[in-house]
Amino acid sequence: MTRVLVRSVALEKTFGEGELATPVLKGISVEVAAGELVLLMGPSGSGKTTLISVLAGLLRPTAGHVELCGAPISDLHEADVTRVRRRHLGFVFQSYNLFPALTALDNIAEVLKLKGLAARDARARATRALTDVGLGDRLHHRPGQLSGGQKQRVAIARALAGDPALILGDEVTAALDTHTALHVLAILRAQVNAERGILLVTHDKRLEQFADRVIEIEDGQISRVTPGGARTGAAA
Amino acid sequence: MLRIALQSLAHDRGKLVASIAGVAFAATLVFAQVGLYAGFLQSSSAVIRHVGGDVWVMARGTVVVDNGERLSAGSREIAAAHPCVERVRGLVLSFQALRKPNGSLEAVQIVGFEPSPKQVLPWAMARGLPQDLHPPMRVAVDRLDVEKLAIDGDPIGAELGIGAESVRVAAVTDGIRAFTLAPYVFAELATARRLTLLGSDQAFYWVLDLARPECASEVVASVDRHPDLVARRTDDFREMTETYWVAGSGAGAALGFSALLGLVVGVVIVGQTLYAVTKEHLRELATLKAIGASPAEIVSFVGWQAAFLALVGGGLGLGMAFGVRNLAVDAGLTIVLSGPVLALGSAAVLLMCAVASVWSVRAVLALEAAEVFR
Ligand SMILES: Nc1ncnc2c1ncn2[C@@H]1O[C@H](COP(=O)(O)OP(=O)(O)OP(=O)(O)O)[C@@H](O)[C@H]1O
Ligand SMILES: [Mg+2]
Repeated sequence: MTRVLVRSVALEKTFGEGELATPVLKGISVEVAAGELVLLMGPSGSGKTTLISVLAGLLRPTAGHVELCGAPISDLHEADVTRVRRRHLGFVFQSYNLFPALTALDNIAEVLKLKGLAARDARARATRALTDVGLGDRLHHRPGQLSGGQKQRVAIARALAGDPALILGDEVTAALDTHTALHVLAILRAQVNAERGILLVTHDKRLEQFADRVIEIEDGQISRVTPGGARTGAAA
Repeated sequence: MLRIALQSLAHDRGKLVASIAGVAFAATLVFAQVGLYAGFLQSSSAVIRHVGGDVWVMARGTVVVDNGERLSAGSREIAAAHPCVERVRGLVLSFQALRKPNGSLEAVQIVGFEPSPKQVLPWAMARGLPQDLHPPMRVAVDRLDVEKLAIDGDPIGAELGIGAESVRVAAVTDGIRAFTLAPYVFAELATARRLTLLGSDQAFYWVLDLARPECASEVVASVDRHPDLVARRTDDFREMTETYWVAGSGAGAALGFSALLGLVVGVVIVGQTLYAVTKEHLRELATLKAIGASPAEIVSFVGWQAAFLALVGGGLGLGMAFGVRNLAVDAGLTIVLSGPVLALGSAAVLLMCAVASVWSVRAVLALEAAEVFR
């Protein structure tokens, strides 16, 4: 039995109250386990970003239950949820979110220091993570001196350096050309192992080939779950 | 977070330089104003502090050392009556018209003192020694007043007229200036009495040295019983004099106001920089929050930047204040940059940077980690 990293049960999220109440998630039960890469797809406004925000503990659900890496985060205090995120999660974003003034190495090492690593260890780990994503020769470049794909690889290295159980990403390839997007996905795919899973929100059909499962949501509900290319044996 | 904060601040060189300059300017202003204030306090009470003693006896109604009145013969005995009084020193402090070598008149303040083993008077000599004032009709003037007194050439030996008398300059003091800016003319008591037409048992003040400082209040009470005299502890009289000049003249309020203005300018400049830098990094800061940084860690992004600006800008301002002090000496202004002045100025600069960071701190505290996916 593989380890479930995140699980939601009958998850609901409504923004606003009274007349202005907007139900966005309407009873979603999903699971992502270690060893799989899952894509979350669906039309714009269907609630994908809201869903991973709730799964990550960045938003509180209105109803339902979320368990993240063994912790019932929907019932925990903010500070405890923060601790769970710090320990178990890695994030990758569409716009990279790197500090422009810091080198690739520092962008990663400083985050590791915030997580409690000593400076020396943080730099060693950051160097290794950058080397793992093929940026061993760009350690001292600033984001402004890197291409979009390289910046996204720095961001992936930042997520990986913390050795997270679960990596969450939203539209991580939206700003990249096809070739670069596929390269970035291949790097992410290579990080999936028996201890680690990945959940990515995307519009990009080309990414299906890297996925074990594709969950589609529509209007706040799961409309379909299909096996991805990695499962059917069509991965590049 | 220190590294993230400082590198992000340093990333925009123009903004960094402008804000450091802003803090430095504000800090210079604050240090100089506070120092000027301390200088005013110091110069207004310089005579009291340097003549010293435990208790001063003066004419009833005297509120400031410069406006004392001549005390009648017999007052010395009253002042000396208490057994705790060890020594009585006469002091003359009186405005007189001085006839300059070129014939015109100038208001000066005669300081007539009794030499004492404990106090060196005059307290700062540029040329000559206090003993040079011992022969009759010898005086000391200040090097900063030589020009004002229209003394040509070597001041030593120059002749000045005071009333019907004529005196000779025997020594030059080093930068002793009155708050009133009337030149001091130092003389020993006998000379000063002749210049102010006092009898040999008269003075403007009787300065008492006590055997035991604890009996000061008894001595004060015993003198106060006399209807024409009043006695004050030296420190009380010093404070009265300082308050009279510095608060009473509005100088304190004026200096305080310009220091405040400097601080306000500093708050605006620093506040703008910190806020702009914070705004530019909200997305990255939200990312750190999502990754698991605590609110305190996120706030320290602003905190380190504010501390850096306070330290570097404040340090520069301090250096500039010392420069201003040296320039001010030539203008006849005393800026005192003593420990308490520096502590007060530094506290003001720190407070300025703390206030300036309030807007940014509020912005980062309002940050939602969920923003990262927006
Ligand atoms: N903070 C909020 N307050 C109110 N409504 C919100 C808020 N966040 C999201 N919504 C609404 O929830 C719905 C789902 O938004 P969400 O961002 O999850 O969609 P999405 O599937 O990620 O869309 P896209 O593919 O365009 O990114 C939208 O109708 C949006 O307007
Ligand atoms: Mg979205």
